[in-house]
Amino acid sequence: MTELHPYVVFIPLLPMLAFPVILILGQLFNNREWWRKGLKEGGWIAVITLGISLIFTLLLLAEVWDFETVEGKTYAPDEGHITYTWLEHTRMVETENGSFEFVELDSTHERWSIDFGFQIDHLSMTILFVAAFLCFLIAWFSLGYMNTDESNAGRLHRFYAEFALFSSAMMGMVLADSFLWLFIFWEIMGLCSYLLIGFYYERPSAASAAKKAFLTTRVGDVFLLIGLLMLFDQFGTLSYERMDHILQENGAMLSVDVIRAALILLFVGAVGKSAQFPLHVWLPDAMEGPTPVSALIHAATMVNAGLYLVARMFPIVAAESMLHNLEIVGIIIAWIGGITALMAAAIAFVQMDLKRVLAYSTMSQLAYIFVGLGVGLWAANTGHEELALLSFGAAIFHLFNHAMAKGMLFMASGSVIHEMHHAHHHIDDGDEHDDFDAQSMENMGGLGSKMPITTVAMAIGSASIIGLPLIGGFWSKEGIIGAAWESLLVSGGLVMLVPAILVVLTAAMTGFYMTRMWAWTFLGRPRSEVAAHVKESTPFIRLPLQVLTIVTLLGIVLFGMGMDSTMVDGTFSNHGHDSDHHGFTDIIIGALTGHGHAYNAIVAWTTIFLSSVIGPLYALRIYGRPLPQDEYLPNSFTLITPLLTNRSHYDNSKWANSKVANALRRRLYFDEVYDWAVMKFITGGAMLAALFDKKAIDGLIRKMSSTTLRASNFMRSLTTGRATDYLVMVGLGVMALGLLLLPGAI
Amino acid sequence: MDGGRDMIPPSWIAGLAAILFGIGLWGAITRKNAIIILMSVEIMLNAVNLNFVAGAFLHQDATGWMFAVFSIAIAAAEVAVGLAIFLALYDQHGTIALDEVQVLKH
Repeated sequence: MTELHPYVVFIPLLPMLAFPVILILGQLFNNREWWRKGLKEGGWIAVITLGISLIFTLLLLAEVWDFETVEGKTYAPDEGHITYTWLEHTRMVETENGSFEFVELDSTHERWSIDFGFQIDHLSMTILFVAAFLCFLIAWFSLGYMNTDESNAGRLHRFYAEFALFSSAMMGMVLADSFLWLFIFWEIMGLCSYLLIGFYYERPSAASAAKKAFLTTRVGDVFLLIGLLMLFDQFGTLSYERMDHILQENGAMLSVDVIRAALILLFVGAVGKSAQFPLHVWLPDAMEGPTPVSALIHAATMVNAGLYLVARMFPIVAAESMLHNLEIVGIIIAWIGGITALMAAAIAFVQMDLKRVLAYSTMSQLAYIFVGLGVGLWAANTGHEELALLSFGAAIFHLFNHAMAKGMLFMASGSVIHEMHHAHHHIDDGDEHDDFDAQSMENMGGLGSKMPITTVAMAIGSASIIGLPLIGGFWSKEGIIGAAWESLLVSGGLVMLVPAILVVLTAAMTGFYMTRMWAWTFLGRPRSEVAAHVKESTPFIRLPLQVLTIVTLLGIVLFGMGMDSTMVDGTFSNHGHDSDHHGFTDIIIGALTGHGHAYNAIVAWTTIFLSSVIGPLYALRIYGRPLPQDEYLPNSFTLITPLLTNRSHYDNSKWANSKVANALRRRLYFDEVYDWAVMKFITGGAMLAALFDKKAIDGLIRKMSSTTLRASNFMRSLTTGRATDYLVMVGLGVMALGLLLLPGAI
Repeated sequence: MDGGRDMIPPSWIAGLAAILFGIGLWGAITRKNAIIILMSVEIMLNAVNLNFVAGAFLHQDATGWMFAVFSIAIAAAEVAVGLAIFLALYDQHGTIALDEVQVLKH
């Protein structure tokens, strides 16, 4: 594939090169006018670089598409593979003519190598597109968001440089062809997350949040590394293609127990990175970072890294040699997903901060994807290939939808916060009220008439997340829920009962809290003077919102084209499965009617009813108030205006002040427990180590120095200065020499 | 040299030389007065000469006597130099008691 070689490497490389460029130029030219206004402190460099990467990605996609539709065969991994071998285990042998040469070892158990290459298959292309597209849009958004805030002036080169580095790491991770490079880029992303969350480092809360994020994901990363080492030990390689090969040829020789443990450890790493229970504590605090950071890292890309890692486990789990031995992996993943989904949705019920609601929503939706992946892995390992593909496809499609919708929601919330800030500055002119929280929904309200584009964007995004019928997220969510319930029907599937139930419950709760968020922000009367003076945002912010609204609405089109199965085509090695091409309407109607099975239809429509009707209506009852007089919502919302009346609102103060609500407000006390555990165990261990260091190691050094001093003092005492003493020494010396040299004396 | 007459056994001569050497060494180490130390060194040299003579008797070789004559000459020269040094020392420090002159002490 000669057309690809030149530009695949540029996709991650260009932004990585932009990182030092922006940093250095920023340091050098920080005070120049042309840097500040013209280049927007490196913003344009970042945006253009990411734009080029996006274009390359689209070209690559087009090429793969072309190849598949024209040549009619799947773009197989070995064809998209470009490898540069870095380190290889070879053996030197003597050839016939007496010279030596290096010979590659063929037996897969004796040989190992460390290479770098690119993996181009459907899964990586999908996530690459998501990453490149969102990185570009959010960088564009930042031009309007970050650069119009005076407190950021003079330090944005740091922001854009780290943004570029992060983008390159994400794209690199997705394109990498081995777990090794996945891990390397994974760590780079963790670093950038730390740097970007702590961007406002002068705020102690931001600095702590950055530390918390890094340390929590670090815990996961340790387990991930151990898992990778175990896999390397078994396979002799971490490259996807070779592992596949080994599984097919020599699968019987691998130790199933080790692989099972390794995959579970890998999942622990994913738990840390994607903020699932129990390593979820860092995500809400990560909202201390600027909103573009929240949008990019914690909604659209980095948290998807954990999902990608789990997705890459499919070939191992689906291999014939592993059949029925790795079931527990899928089960654990699905259960953790289910638990996290419910827990996060519950905590989102009581959040007052706009961004924190979205953070918990992210946690919950990622958990959905994990449920989908877990069910898929379990199904793949028990031989139910159709179900596995269904679940896997739905999960990855949901990843796509969620990334688009969540990115948009965060950007929309950024738009709201940005305008609240501006209005605040207008009203309290020059007054640095730091206690006015522009992010708290308590201060918002009635923004629907003042920010129409944002209102619509946020509504569509919320609808996608809720799973309102026909809008983006609906198709993928139904897919996951459907797959989970279908798995109950197959033998041994009852183990998925709890995740299946949790997932449906969570759907209802999602409906409620997302509507609550939207209603509390955009409906009713403005609850503070600031909110009354808000206006719509700058063009930089508007464009991404508009683009993503359209993408979300296009979800139905993508689903109809069978995107969910296309996204994961070819990721298994033994999929030998013909994608039957149904027509567009067939697919849509099939999903809505549960493919003709009553069981599926009941599950689907129950969920729809709970999530799209009960949840939102209930929330609107509690939180939906009409706008002040003479103010109107954008035309698209004429349907709900009748629902908003001032009278007879449900008084939920009994619930709001209950013990459950208070526990949820304290985030179920996870932070307190972890804090206690750290104090008890880690501090104790640290003190022990400090004691050892002081007594044993320092003591040893001091002992050495004092001994040397004493010896030298002794030597010094010999120099008395008296000639006769020196005579004695000469005499003794001569005697000693004589004894040594005379034969037979010593 | 007549080899038949009663000679003094060379071992006795060497023994006397050893005793003399020991006395000389003891004196050189223990005495404070610089001149006494010089005298002790002379005694040591004398003892060495005796040793040479004993060797000459033992091996019936005239080389031993020659060494002794050289040694005496050198001893004389050395005394001259030593006395000159002690004179200079007296000029510097006002004493020739060597336990008081500790210039080299650290």
